[in-house]
Amino acid sequence: MSNAAVGTVYEHIINEVINAVRVDFEENGVDDSVLEELKKGWQHKLSQLNIAQFPWDPKPEAPPPAQATQNTSSAVNAQAAATQQPTANYTQSTLSPQTAAQSPSHPGGQPNGNGVAIKSEPGMANEPTIKQEPGTMQPMMHPAYPGNNAARGGMAAQRAAQAIANRYGSQAQASINAIHQQTQQPQIPGQAPPPPPTPQQQQQQQQFSPQQQYQQTVAAQMQQRIPQQPGQPGQPQPLSQQNGLGGAQVDGSSDGFDGVLMRRDADGNPVEMGRVEIDNLLHAQLLERAKQREGGGLMLPLKEATKQRSNATKSRRAAAAGGPNQLDGNDEDDDEFDEDAINSDLDDPEDERDDDDEEDEASGWIMLCLYDKVQRVKNKWKCTLKDGVLTVNGKEYVFHKANGEYEW
Amino acid sequence: MAANGNTNYYDLYRHGSLGSTLTDALDDLIGAERIDPQLAMKVLMQFDRVITEALSEKVKARLTFKGSLDTYRFCDEVWTFLIKNVTFKMDGGQSVVTADKVKIVSCSAKRSDEK
Repeated sequence: MSNAAVGTVYEHIINEVINAVRVDFEENGVDDSVLEELKKGWQHKLSQLNIAQFPWDPKPEAPPPAQATQNTSSAVNAQAAATQQPTANYTQSTLSPQTAAQSPSHPGGQPNGNGVAIKSEPGMANEPTIKQEPGTMQPMMHPAYPGNNAARGGMAAQRAAQAIANRYGSQAQASINAIHQQTQQPQIPGQAPPPPPTPQQQQQQQQFSPQQQYQQTVAAQMQQRIPQQPGQPGQPQPLSQQNGLGGAQVDGSSDGFDGVLMRRDADGNPVEMGRVEIDNLLHAQLLERAKQREGGGLMLPLKEATKQRSNATKSRRAAAAGGPNQLDGNDEDDDEFDEDAINSDLDDPEDERDDDDEEDEASGWIMLCLYDKVQRVKNKWKCTLKDGVLTVNGKEYVFHKANGEYEW
Repeated sequence: MAANGNTNYYDLYRHGSLGSTLTDALDDLIGAERIDPQLAMKVLMQFDRVITEALSEKVKARLTFKGSLDTYRFCDEVWTFLIKNVTFKMDGGQSVVTADKVKIVSCSAKRSDEK
């Protein structure tokens, strides 16, 4: 008998009951959706009791890895500059800093995306990137492109280079070279951004073509670093635009783009809400809640509070206005009155016994079952129980058979 | 705890968590006038049947428990025990649960079998 079995058994029972009463619902002309609502409500209430893990409850699981990695780049973009490495790697692996500077139409020219990234990187952001092994980053960044093979990646790089050459001619020579190198040398994209070391390194590598061959083995890995190229060969700009754009939109707090939420005002017109407005709205609601609680709950006279509990929140709000004034005198009286009542000997035993019984059921330490045998020898009891449900210590158990021995 | 009029199933289990949550959910629907109380009663009677069958057919677990009997009562074929300092052993003694007290409400197994 384990707690784990409860979930499946209860689900079975719920489904059986729902199916069994479907006919009754139809006969009564009640819509099927109501039945579904009943089931949902039932399950929801059960879940709230928290007595067991139910199959319909969302299980506390980590999100599937594929999803997590797909989100990585955008999530990272939203964070501080230090975590912008992936974005930076993308953009700068496809386009060297020179290109970014040269081409105004290039996303690198966008103030929020690449521009910020490049500026903020040299100090803090990029250092870790340099040290980081590209091999370790790849699986994290591009698990969705495992199928890239060397041929495709190489082709893509070439096409990208050609596209740049077509567009910018000899001006872009440096970046074309950069692309070639980056295909073969994974470390570069990380190193590219920081102004002082990068250009030199790149130039060095431009000159030493043997080095490229020497590092061809790394190329396969590199193609995974530029995963979108195979998909959009010959379009390096849009590609990097995608990458840059993510950063630009997500962390662009200072743009003119203010609206975060739309809400409808009293007339039903949609109103755009900026962050400040949302904050203010939330603050106002919090204050209102706090006031309600103050006036409508703890600080009210006991009698009124219990009276209001049966009423709806409407009356509670009304009380919020008048509550604080009333509360001084009566409250203490009520307390004293209660204490007096407890002191009465006549009231005492009965009250307590009632409380006890209620507590047993309310706190839920209860076993509901059928009995086969109940035997007693003097003060020793033995019983055989079956088909029971036991709720104890906030957990629920079901059993087919139970033997109990106890002394009176 | 009497058996239901038409069917011979106890409504005992309505007091458990499963039953009480069902009753709550039904109450909500009745309160919203989505269903009428008679229909809710039918649902509960189906519940009595289903849970009785499910517990006897689907559940195989066994349990032993020991404790000191505080109160006992036998009325209308229903045993009620209040046991204190009770220890439950489940899964052949593998898992042990203790409680200060537990209330046992138990109907006769024979009557429910008669149907």
